[in-house]
Amino acid sequence: MLICDEYVTPGTLAEAFAAMERHRGRYRVVAGCTDTLPWAREGRAGDVEIPVLIDVSKIPELNERQVGDKRVRLGAATPIQRFLDDAALGRAMPAMPRCAVWFADDQIRAQATLGGNVVNASPAADATPCLEAHDAVVELASAKGKRNMALREFITGPGKTQLAEGELVTGFDCDAFPGYGGSFEKVGHRRSLVISVVCLAVMVKLDRDGLTIEDTRLAIAGIRPVPRRLREIEDHLRGKRLTGALLEEAADMPLDLVQSRTRQEYRRDVVRGFLVRGLIAAAKRAGASPDALTQELEAAYG
Amino acid sequence: MVDIRLNATINGRKVSRDAKPHLRLLDFLRDDLNLTGNKEGCGAGECGTCSVFVDGVLMKSCLMPVAKAQGATVDTIESLAKSGELSVLQKAFHKAGASQCGYCIPGMVMAATAALRANPFADREEIKERLGGNICRCTGYQKIFDAVELARDVQNGRLPSTALLETDTADGDVIGKSVRRIDAPSKVSGRLKYAGDMIMPGMLHVQVLRSPHAHARIVSIDTSAALAIAGVESVITSADVPGKDGFGVFVHDQPIMARDKVRYVGEAVAAVAAEDALTAKRAVAAIKVVYEPLAPVFDPDEAMREGAAIVHDYAPDNITKHIPIRVGDVEAGFAESDLVIEENYSTQAIEHAYLEPEAGLAYIDHDDVVTVVSPSQNITHHRHMLARIIAKPISKVRFIMSPVGGGFGGKEDMIYQGMLALLAMKTMRPVRLVYTREESIISTAKRHPSRTTLRMGVTRDGRIKALAMRMVCDGGAYGLSTEGVMRKAAILAAGPYNIPNVRIDTFGIYTNNTPSGAFRSFGALQTQFATESHLDIIAERLGLDPFEIRRINAMRDGATTHTKQKLGSVSLMRALDAAEQASNWEAGAPTVRGPTRGDLGHDDVRPSVTLGARFAADDKQEAAE
Repeated sequence: MLICDEYVTPGTLAEAFAAMERHRGRYRVVAGCTDTLPWAREGRAGDVEIPVLIDVSKIPELNERQVGDKRVRLGAATPIQRFLDDAALGRAMPAMPRCAVWFADDQIRAQATLGGNVVNASPAADATPCLEAHDAVVELASAKGKRNMALREFITGPGKTQLAEGELVTGFDCDAFPGYGGSFEKVGHRRSLVISVVCLAVMVKLDRDGLTIEDTRLAIAGIRPVPRRLREIEDHLRGKRLTGALLEEAADMPLDLVQSRTRQEYRRDVVRGFLVRGLIAAAKRAGASPDALTQELEAAYG
Repeated sequence: MVDIRLNATINGRKVSRDAKPHLRLLDFLRDDLNLTGNKEGCGAGECGTCSVFVDGVLMKSCLMPVAKAQGATVDTIESLAKSGELSVLQKAFHKAGASQCGYCIPGMVMAATAALRANPFADREEIKERLGGNICRCTGYQKIFDAVELARDVQNGRLPSTALLETDTADGDVIGKSVRRIDAPSKVSGRLKYAGDMIMPGMLHVQVLRSPHAHARIVSIDTSAALAIAGVESVITSADVPGKDGFGVFVHDQPIMARDKVRYVGEAVAAVAAEDALTAKRAVAAIKVVYEPLAPVFDPDEAMREGAAIVHDYAPDNITKHIPIRVGDVEAGFAESDLVIEENYSTQAIEHAYLEPEAGLAYIDHDDVVTVVSPSQNITHHRHMLARIIAKPISKVRFIMSPVGGGFGGKEDMIYQGMLALLAMKTMRPVRLVYTREESIISTAKRHPSRTTLRMGVTRDGRIKALAMRMVCDGGAYGLSTEGVMRKAAILAAGPYNIPNVRIDTFGIYTNNTPSGAFRSFGALQTQFATESHLDIIAERLGLDPFEIRRINAMRDGATTHTKQKLGSVSLMRALDAAEQASNWEAGAPTVRGPTRGDLGHDDVRPSVTLGARFAADDKQEAAE
């Protein structure tokens, strides 16, 4: 049970910083609350008494959304559901809708925020590898000013970030990838409400004929303390002709990706299958020529 | 505490009132506004019994601080049938038989409403996906999906609204007809009151202190600090029990709160009744218990060995119950067998996971009758046990069975009703206890974990000549239903097969694990898992079709079981035929199957689970482009 004496809902950033200053050492910042409330239960943190909860989800800056051809800026309080509702956003971040549909369930992702997913820094976070594939920059603000930091620097370990005392994550600045095909592969114990054992974000851009990989973005999570961008595989694929053999070759690259505490062998098998399957799905959505991918390959990994 | 002045529109009416800042929207709706249609099944966003619309978007109200509803429009299950007329979806749930215990159904109806609002033409896969945040334990979901599809088709005019009505049974003959459940309207509308929904004037709230130790002596319990807290009315321990303490379905070995020692993690040690649940919680935290840890025993095989920790003094060998069955001469049977196979099998503990966590309400009525309202699966037995525990004549003890939001055997044990009765007697006020999901899991019975060694002898043509089985079950810290479970496990161990020589021993063993108790099949699963798996292995060794080996040994009409019961009729052959047909069985020994499987891919075989049904249309479009 989460017990507080006061629940503050600031309407502006300035009000939020004032509340954080006023209640210094006695508050916790919340947004969607979909992880905080289950956290404060027996078996995890138990009954938790926090004098003041500061809910930043109503602050306008944290709810802004700018979708351009080159860049996407998302406020930290953007609910995960937006990636399914907002078609323009889905086109600019094509793996994200596929991620969102696997994220918790229809109800929780209406409330859960992108910023919360990042600040939680769970090794199994679903949205974080997608953001990493977009080279996301984390926008931070405090009463003293603003600073930016690459997402991969911001998350330092399981549950650990570089968020400073008195600081808020206000948003994310991401590369936009319109015209890319996207996919998101995830495995857990069931369909909904499941924590990823492995998850993989994939984006692929093909040439006009749908035969050559012009660009690709890959990032993986659930297999190590922090999400990891798969640049070696991206470099290997970029500029090459799309064939089943190439994808299998990429999946077999000798990278020591799996550094999880448990089930390493299983995860290695999953990662290999996910790479091939995710690349096939993304390439198809990017307009792959029917000649490029053999039916056998699709049958094996579809 | 700084209260929140909440202004919102709830079920179409303006609400303006103060709320405690730590409340979740669910607490505010259920406790402050008495809108109990939506339930709390888990409190952690996993089950969806609490799903409500907030500004038209379905949300899990157990994950939402009430402050988030400031200025919002909130619609609960009560909003769907406001004038008493059920919505199309509610009628469809009624018609399709989509409710059993009903506890998940308000949330399920809300999720279905949201799904059809999002896509009025959603196909079954998309419906499944959109209902993914809601869990049902009873129905197996198929009737729920049937109901949503029925509602969709009626809403879209593909079916007439009469499709929602009762099938004509004007001739009065309902046998073999699909008739609507009479209790469904109360469930689909959220109007049915489960124990946790009930309130009484002056009611106190109960919280329980539970043991952190698996095995420890209780040196002392100091309740003075808890009693000193304002709002705390009573704190009870086993010392307050006036009669002969002890309950259990067979052996009355479990005190209503731990007496002298604790035997498992989660065992009740003390209970508090206070003006509100938060005060009761704080009082529980203020109770000081000094424990002296004892060596625990967690493995039933170890518990049977000499020198193991003793869980109950009355059973120094830790055996709760041993059921032996002897028929014929097993060794002679093995001697005349062509093939003798021995294997080990094990099964694990399983939680019942009914959607309704335990809850109960107790009060002393005007005639001094101690009354307990709870979803008990065994009220008559509970009544007799409680009368002895509280030293009252049976005429002064009453049990009322509230709607059971799923039981599966898990609500046969009088695990909390004794504490409620005692607190009502102490305070002379109504008292209510509502378990959290975690409390339900930690403190109530599980299915018996088992280890089985099975030896079976057969002739070359597949006839079973002898069966020897030894099963050891972890009964946990208290007896509960262990004796009956061991008995049924033994009685059904040899399956519905003619076996001339049988030796069966089932043992229920005390350990310091969570108690095991009744759970669907009541012991049959554990032994039958071994026997049926064994038959498959033998069929493979003999080159027989697994159905065939069962037919060869099947009991027929007039057979006598290995516990000497004469069976008038035996439906096994029909069951085998039906199973063979329904499973698209490929005849032959298990070794003859080639690289492909002919049993999959049929219309009646469900495809594997995927997500993204809502993208299917987009993908088709992309493929076409």
